[in-house]
Amino acid sequence: MGKLSVQFQNRLRKHPQVPYILPTAIVMLLLFILPLVFVFLISLTNYRLGVGLDDISFLGLSNYKRLFSGEESGFYYSVFISVFFMVLGTLIQMILGMICALLLNQRFRRKGLVIACLIVPIAMTPSIASQIWKLMFNSEFGVINYFIEAVTGQTVQWLSADYAFLSVLIATVWQYTPFVTLMLYAGLCSLPQSPYESAILDGANKWQLFRHITLPLLKNLILLCALMRSIDMLKTFDIPYVLTQGGPGNATRFLSLKIYDTGFGEQNFVGRASAMAVVLIVLVSLISLALFRVMNKSKEG
Amino acid sequence: MKKPLRKRMNRIFLYLALFAVCFVSIFPYLWMVLVSVKERVLVYQPGVWFFQPTFENYKTIFQRYDLGSYMINSAIIAGCNCVISLFFGSLTAFALARYRFKGRKQFSFFMLFIRILPAVASIIPLFIIAAALQMLDTHAVLIITYLLFNIPFTVLMMQGFFEDISRDIEEAAMIDGCNSFQVLYKIVVPLAMPGIVATAIFCIINAWNEFVYAMQLTTFNASTVPTIVQMFKTVTGIVWGEMSAVGTVSTLPVLVFAMLVQKQMVRGLSFGAVKD
Repeated sequence: MGKLSVQFQNRLRKHPQVPYILPTAIVMLLLFILPLVFVFLISLTNYRLGVGLDDISFLGLSNYKRLFSGEESGFYYSVFISVFFMVLGTLIQMILGMICALLLNQRFRRKGLVIACLIVPIAMTPSIASQIWKLMFNSEFGVINYFIEAVTGQTVQWLSADYAFLSVLIATVWQYTPFVTLMLYAGLCSLPQSPYESAILDGANKWQLFRHITLPLLKNLILLCALMRSIDMLKTFDIPYVLTQGGPGNATRFLSLKIYDTGFGEQNFVGRASAMAVVLIVLVSLISLALFRVMNKSKEG
Repeated sequence: MKKPLRKRMNRIFLYLALFAVCFVSIFPYLWMVLVSVKERVLVYQPGVWFFQPTFENYKTIFQRYDLGSYMINSAIIAGCNCVISLFFGSLTAFALARYRFKGRKQFSFFMLFIRILPAVASIIPLFIIAAALQMLDTHAVLIITYLLFNIPFTVLMMQGFFEDISRDIEEAAMIDGCNSFQVLYKIVVPLAMPGIVATAIFCIINAWNEFVYAMQLTTFNASTVPTIVQMFKTVTGIVWGEMSAVGTVSTLPVLVFAMLVQKQMVRGLSFGAVKD
């Protein structure tokens, strides 16, 4: 017993980080790794909700073959609009977020009030906010069309097949840009002053200051922010689920909605849904690994 | 004469832009409040700005829909989850900020990488596991599930705060005979309090607003506020007035808390990623 505890203490002295990290590691093993393996295993079966355990059989990769052969209608389209939504949405959020952060970084009174306004979208529950957007986007009695009509005399069919994607994009940009803004603003606040002072002495203009000092110093934070936003955009669910239910038709059936409908909709094809989920996981992983690589490179360089 | 004019124009432009940002940010919330005090007929007339407000909708949501119990569920789940996330997350963040060990970078990356798991993917296994453990529709199942995103978030945010704290004081305490746990709780945690408050508010917002897990893992006893949207899909369409009243009330606690800790909230968001 004594020997064991000495051995234990020696180990602890060599690896003092272990007791700090262990609880988190165990929780993540249970909540991340286990479901990950589980989803992959289910994706190899014909499992359906409400079907007895005896009826489950192993299918090998046939769920995947079904997906990639194009037999699953709308799968490629879902992948396409999800990726498109991610790229476009992340870009818009980052650019708007940067502009707002630069505005916020100016000197003016009542800054607290502006930040308070920006916190409103962050605090509002996406599923409930989307209901409100649905009301505001309504083509007959929505307030957005009321404004547009007052100015241009025309109305837009916001939730129709042509504009549903744009509507989801607008609601998403509204909901998440303030977070990007506050993140970048926090970064701007913690920048050192000295490089700016010497550059101003050298006669640099505002754009040059931004391009050659602010951007490089904020690079890591910008990449981190873009990474977080891209991942969340690719997984997007709450807003389209409430705002458009994936429709009209398949216009906004993003991959996560497609997975949900297949697994929990009318047919309960959990096995097939899991195969799509694995594809989504691989897709998100690849994109975040790529971005993480860029981040690491910029840290070293 | 030329310069002051340009400066004044810049000033006007700045205030206009700031006003636009504020207006767009809060408009949906304002609109929701407005709709919540409108009579049912008026909801369909966006042009009516002045009217006699009614508080019928607020009465209905507490009496018929029992919003109170949804909010209590949300508070219990967000509160417990936040405390556990802060505890586990701070421990890990401290280790990542203080110790240089093999695999440290990989573990940091792993914390970020956890975000990739989509809720719609993990919901299938989690549902099966929770059913097997007879934990469906309990507070515990959501408290535990939300650790999945709140612990990594805490680690990410607290690591930045811990790295900013000078090590001199810690070393002095070590010499006085404190062990590393004591250093963490007696010295580092009090110094990092603003960061902990900021992290707490984000954990609470994340847990308070989560939708997919709440929708699938609870049915009645532990249902949280976001799942309430499904109640308002009636055959005749959505009951907008009541829906808006729910949104107005349920956002208020988080909003007030966030306003109170505004300063700390913003500071923590640089994640310690700006280093020269």
